[in-house]
Amino acid sequence: MARLDQMAEPQRSHIANLPCPHFDKTPWATGPELSKRRVAIISTAGLHRRGDRPFTGMDGDYRVIPGDTVANDLVMTHISTNFDRTGFQQDVNLIFPINRLQELVAEGVIGSVADFHYSFMGAADPSNMASHAQNLARLLAGDNVDAAFLVPV
Amino acid sequence: MGALAHYLEETGIPTTQISLIYEHTDAIRPPRALWVPFELGRPLGVPGDAAFQRKVLLSVLTLLEAKEGPVLDVFPEEAPDTSSEKTEGEDTWACPVSFAPPPAEETGLEMKIQALKHEVTELRPWYDIGLEKRGRTAMADFDPETAAEVLCDYLSGKAIGIPEREISPAVALRLAAQDLKSFYFEAAISRPGAKTPDSKAFANWYWTQTAAGEILKDIREKCAAEEDRDLQMAGKMFLVPMGQ
Repeated sequence: MARLDQMAEPQRSHIANLPCPHFDKTPWATGPELSKRRVAIISTAGLHRRGDRPFTGMDGDYRVIPGDTVANDLVMTHISTNFDRTGFQQDVNLIFPINRLQELVAEGVIGSVADFHYSFMGAADPSNMASHAQNLARLLAGDNVDAAFLVPV
Repeated sequence: MGALAHYLEETGIPTTQISLIYEHTDAIRPPRALWVPFELGRPLGVPGDAAFQRKVLLSVLTLLEAKEGPVLDVFPEEAPDTSSEKTEGEDTWACPVSFAPPPAEETGLEMKIQALKHEVTELRPWYDIGLEKRGRTAMADFDPETAAEVLCDYLSGKAIGIPEREISPAVALRLAAQDLKSFYFEAAISRPGAKTPDSKAFANWYWTQTAAGEILKDIREKCAAEEDRDLQMAGKMFLVPMGQ
């Protein structure tokens, strides 16, 4: 249960006291109707392809996950021990809902699924992610993505 | 997560996101977010429940059609309880693997190591069978025996680290600890008649009734006394969950 007031200590205080970055205003980009959007998953679960570099610190960098990566080649090396991983072990779609997105394409709910998806490691300081996010935005634009679906863990 | 949405949206990429901690998302104010009342590690709600996942996914993608923001919606449903072997008021999952009692605090190091190796040997065939059946393992870096060996070597004072992969001792310990826990879960649910526990029941079993859990707690203590700050931090934060 991710309700702060129902979390056990000391995890509740730890999460409650995590510093949140401040933004003076919220940016707002627009795109076509949902049925024409091209969607990419941006995870912060510390996911990567088996054999790719594990997440080792707070660098704020990301890993590339091709859309055709099979489930057994998708692994997680997030540094935290304080969230459940057994759900991911049973079903990658719980965290990386690639099959659900493909089903929505088949139904015509969304336009298409991107060729490439990406994962950060969410324990990193957000300010360290900023420059990597700039690079990522160019990659997303190159893949014609007009809907980034951000999934925490 | 919310900060990433700001960074990407500023470049012109529309974003929508799941929120697991409402208070954080409310403070960061990303363009579009759907708060879900699910436990950490389960942003789509329920493993193996495609219909429920689809419902969550549709709710968060629909936010892309909002005319103005920021938008922070609340998903109205709790995740269905899928724990299959827990009676009301009981948090301890009855794993069908028969282990000797976990080593006591005062047990000697060598006996603890032998107990861990015995558990790995007992679980290995069920891990293999589960892997064959599911076609997938979440073990990322080590095979089960190597993961156990890395942890035991550290506790025994032997050198660890994976020089050829440029992994430091602190990272090696963390990855081995994660892989060992993944191994225990995948093996334990693959025994005949085994049910799948919820996360809390599995954690209670792993951390209080196995030699693996006991050894990881010992490693936590050993790391705390290290001069290497990475090892100190690994012991403090990255090997054993808070509250265990």
